[in-house]
Amino acid sequence: MLMTRRGFTTALAGTVAAPALIRTAFAQAATVKIGMVMPMTGAAAESGSFAQTGARIALEQVNKAGGVLGKPIELIFEDDQTTNPGAVLAFSKLASQPDIVAFLGSIRSTQMHAMAPDMLKAGKPVGFGGTDPNLTKLNNPWLFRFRPNDSYSGRVIAQYGSKELGKKKWAIVHSTDAFGTAGAKALTDSLPENGATLALDQGYANQSQDFTPVVLAVRQSGADILGTYFTFETDLGIFARQLRQLGVTIPWVGSPSIVNVSALKLAGPALYNTYGVADYAEDSSDASRAFGKVYREVRKVAPDNQSSWTFDAVTCLALAMNKAGSTEPGKVREAMLAIRGHKGAEGEYNFDKNGDGLHGYNIVKNEKGDIKFDKRLDFTPNLG
Amino acid sequence: MSTTATTAAAAASARPRLRWGVPAYVVFVAAAIVLAIVVPKTGYVFNISLQATTYAIAVLGLTIVLGLCGQINLAQAAFFGLGAYAVGLGQTEHGLNFWVCLLIGSGLAALFGALLGASTLRLGGHYLAMVTISFQQILTLVLINWIPVTKGPDGVRAIPRPAFFADGSSYLALCIAVLGGLGYLVWHLRDTRLGRAMRAVRDNELAAGVAGIDVYRTKVTAFALSAVLGGIGGGLFAGGFAYVSPDQFSFAESVVFLTMVLLGGVASPIGAVIGTGLLILIPEWLRFLKSIPGLYLAIYGAAVILIVLFMPDGIWGFVRGQFDRFKRATAPSASGDALQLSGGGVGTDTVLEVRKLSKHFGGLKAVDEVDLTIKRGGVHALIGPNGSGKTTTLNVLSGLYKATSGTIMLNGQDITSLPPHVRTKAGLGRTFQNIRLWRSMTALENVMVGAERPGSPVGNDPASVVARARAALAFVDLEHRADEVVAGFSYGHQRAVEIARALASDPALLLLDEPGAGLNSSEKVELRNLLKRISAHGLTILIIDHDMTLVSEVAQHITVLNFGRRIADGHSADVLKHPDVIAAYLGTAPDVAA
Amino acid sequence: MDLALQLLFTGIGIGSVYALVALGFVLIFRATNVVNFAQGEFSMLAAFLMVVFSVKVGLPYWLAFIVALMGMALLGAVFNLAVYYPLRHRTYLPVIISTIGASIFLANTTLAIHGPEPEVLSGWFDTPGFLLGPVYLDSQYLLIIAVTAILVALQYWFFEHTLLGKKLQATSQDKEMASLLGIPVATMIMVTFVYSAVIGGIAGILVAPVLFVSIGMGAAIALKAFAATIIGGFGDVTGAIIGGLALGVIETFGAAYISVPYKDGFAFLVLIAFLIFRPQGIFGERVAEKA
Repeated sequence: MLMTRRGFTTALAGTVAAPALIRTAFAQAATVKIGMVMPMTGAAAESGSFAQTGARIALEQVNKAGGVLGKPIELIFEDDQTTNPGAVLAFSKLASQPDIVAFLGSIRSTQMHAMAPDMLKAGKPVGFGGTDPNLTKLNNPWLFRFRPNDSYSGRVIAQYGSKELGKKKWAIVHSTDAFGTAGAKALTDSLPENGATLALDQGYANQSQDFTPVVLAVRQSGADILGTYFTFETDLGIFARQLRQLGVTIPWVGSPSIVNVSALKLAGPALYNTYGVADYAEDSSDASRAFGKVYREVRKVAPDNQSSWTFDAVTCLALAMNKAGSTEPGKVREAMLAIRGHKGAEGEYNFDKNGDGLHGYNIVKNEKGDIKFDKRLDFTPNLG
Repeated sequence: MSTTATTAAAAASARPRLRWGVPAYVVFVAAAIVLAIVVPKTGYVFNISLQATTYAIAVLGLTIVLGLCGQINLAQAAFFGLGAYAVGLGQTEHGLNFWVCLLIGSGLAALFGALLGASTLRLGGHYLAMVTISFQQILTLVLINWIPVTKGPDGVRAIPRPAFFADGSSYLALCIAVLGGLGYLVWHLRDTRLGRAMRAVRDNELAAGVAGIDVYRTKVTAFALSAVLGGIGGGLFAGGFAYVSPDQFSFAESVVFLTMVLLGGVASPIGAVIGTGLLILIPEWLRFLKSIPGLYLAIYGAAVILIVLFMPDGIWGFVRGQFDRFKRATAPSASGDALQLSGGGVGTDTVLEVRKLSKHFGGLKAVDEVDLTIKRGGVHALIGPNGSGKTTTLNVLSGLYKATSGTIMLNGQDITSLPPHVRTKAGLGRTFQNIRLWRSMTALENVMVGAERPGSPVGNDPASVVARARAALAFVDLEHRADEVVAGFSYGHQRAVEIARALASDPALLLLDEPGAGLNSSEKVELRNLLKRISAHGLTILIIDHDMTLVSEVAQHITVLNFGRRIADGHSADVLKHPDVIAAYLGTAPDVAA
Repeated sequence: MDLALQLLFTGIGIGSVYALVALGFVLIFRATNVVNFAQGEFSMLAAFLMVVFSVKVGLPYWLAFIVALMGMALLGAVFNLAVYYPLRHRTYLPVIISTIGASIFLANTTLAIHGPEPEVLSGWFDTPGFLLGPVYLDSQYLLIIAVTAILVALQYWFFEHTLLGKKLQATSQDKEMASLLGIPVATMIMVTFVYSAVIGGIAGILVAPVLFVSIGMGAAIALKAFAATIIGGFGDVTGAIIGGLALGVIETFGAAYISVPYKDGFAFLVLIAFLIFRPQGIFGERVAEKA
């Protein structure tokens, strides 16, 4: 009964995505291949399909503009089944194909940790979306992050809530998974510098059926602002509803999942007037608007960060290869690190020496179900 | 004396596979190791091989607990995780040596396995399924939430490999060698005393207890061994992949392990390896299905049902079944020695002394203050109409029921509150009204379990156990069918094997529960002759039967029960003429169902 | 005090969900001595069917409800024929595994057909809930509690006072005897599976407005319901209901006063404690002395 998609896996380990069929023999030499590890089955299968769309949009644009070094690029997908061992096998499957010149890794930090040893061995550039700050501190020269890491989301939530909204007493609710724990820690650490204090730090286990005790704890804590890190939309939806039902109305600034499409659909009015940090906000820049327009045409739904980072990653990798004039890993790496002021869907890319490309977040507001861009908070990176 | 020669031959014929099996096995494992070292591999092939190898070790554990002992374990991933975390945390956090960590990990797994087993194995079945799931879930929660110790959901990174095995190929070779070694041990476990005990417990728990097997301890041992293999597999997995996190050891993984062992076949370690390999490889072959999320796993789920429906013994079981059809019947082996029966040795005149024995079920007094004295060296019959409490008395005597009150002395030893297997050690042997043999085992194996009961005269020496078992089979004229599985035997032959099993344990007192039930007239004649031969060897028998002809022919002494009370006791001829007895059998006694 | 009352209401609400799903477990267990690991998928499937008929096809809510439950009845019958019936003479182990296979199959077939995105299903009532003094009462939870109570009463009446119910009971107690008495055992087992699938379906449709409709929704609930079944004593309807309610309340209070992250662990700790100290459950199947 418990084995739905999530996790059923490991053993079934895997791979996916019909690459064997897609890859036609004549295309072999004629394309520049980028391998992409993504969930097609398991708990995150839905976000995987968004990620795939984002990457495909970039692929088309790059190829329309002449491709890389005169050849079209091609994406090879492998399924990670939303598990760590699945990700390891998927990546090593890709890495064993010598004609793949670069990779897209996972948006999930634990999967990135699991794959990191093999990525180091592979010795080719990997763009990824996992936001654990440690990932770019592993002394692994091949990792390039296409989303702002969690130390930024924590800092932005703390600064926005404390400075812009003027609330100083925080309740933090977070998932106990890797993403939630790291985010909550970053937020907690940023409170003192913004003159704010922590009233409640409350973790919960993913896929809970009820949040009454959590909501009551928030209510009891006397906090005047709520910061959250939720992983699954169903959890966020149940929490949001119960929060409203039990009469908690304090301002709420949440991690990116609070503005994601499914969460908006599930929670409906319960999320009105909340704020979210979003690495992707459609109105934050011309580049973001442009991506949003294409994405809506393809998917008929609003774009979110699941697709914007893969779009940026494919675009940047192509850009770096063209600049380097080569697909040789070392040269591509140098070109990636040299990227300055590239305007992507997620924001402006300036890679620091660790491989972090973005250094700030957008703040967006949910106005009756519409996500409105509020402002962007950027921090000055150490580009040394 | 040709004793040595015959016992050696007997031992050999008990395991005919081993003659060619062992060298073939060694060659195969050695070849796999050489391949692992020599053949250049991509990271992908390496990862798949490593995963299959380490998983297969854990699946071997399920071969023991599920295949041999028949107990379900839905927490193998938890034990796998314990091993993996021990190797991960021990090395990175506490600076311990890899091998020390592996030892700690498998020790922890054994400890938890034994605890888990000890707390619930008395229940078995679906309860065990639930408890193992609970343990699995709690462990996952602890791994995620006890951050200071487990590093929480981030998992453990940069787990080193042991010295000399740092490079991929040699590490893989190491894992294959471990798998090969453990597989060999598991393969041979089934033909050891412990393995036979496990299989006996699986086939018929009640009979196992009565034959002298400590059922509870056997199950706990099976569970702990299974957990240890899980722990070893997990430890090697952690070293191989350098990273572990809680979601790798979830309940879903336990189900995967279970499916692996079922697919391959629970009966053999080869099945475990086949099942593991296939379940890791099949997704690779079927990857074209993965363009639609869920489709692959849907097919997987359907395949699980189909395997259970159509290939109950797994792939390896199926393949072996095809081979067995063409196998020659083994030639009848040379006759062994005559069976030695000590009759419980010399002692007092009285073998069994029962005083005021009662057994109540709620308000029903099934046995009510019954006295019974059995003299050494005769056949004593316990008779009475249906529902008079005969079988209940026998069950209390052999320890299947707890006496409500009263005392039972066997050879001067108070056995009133001892569990069945300890009574067997004290010298009690019995058969059941509805035959309880271990149906998937051979006649010889059935009888060997009797012969190797604790305190048996032949001790633990395998050759003498085999010799004694053969002698016991010869005693009931079934030696020529020693190597056949008993499920195919006629009723009469099954009855004879059950008696042989009891005889092999050299009891002081043999309890026979309606041995004549279901036998045809010629089989009854054989039974009567058999009982007389046993009696002639000086062994004391307590027999229950409805067949008055049989009873009057073999028994010198008769005790009669009615409504749980003793109504007559004495020499056969006298008792059968007793008016109360005649009234009880012919009169108005209502026919209460037993 | 207010806090405790609120927690109590929520605990009973979520406990009723467990109890309702547990009911399905108990029925099948009584008839076949088998634990159905796909019981949670029954709830999940019914919720998806409801979404299809009510939201996508646009049937009126009550009609969609009936159609969805008819679908569940059909599923129950097919489930019996494909997963249980061929194995009826084997031990419990192959059957458990076969139901596990069915659970994987059902969850992932749904995933393949529908896709992974969760769905919203509206409740029976337009008002989501109301305040009674300091306690917020979710109207859907009130409905769940009421339906659970009614179903338990109905079931009691059905088993004790109807011929079909008595035949079912006879079947569950002793199949051989029942068949000697001329009761069509195979049909009775079929009825049980159909009924159990429908009950599971009702549970799924009722919780969907609270928990949303997702592929994994049934699995988590079913595991707790399974625990409730054991706490109640396998095969005991009243016990399963009380076990479910107790688990819901213990979990909610445990989360509020001890630890939220370990919430799911409380159910299992209680379960293990029960198995060690009172294996026969609250009311009690006899597990001892089966010689």
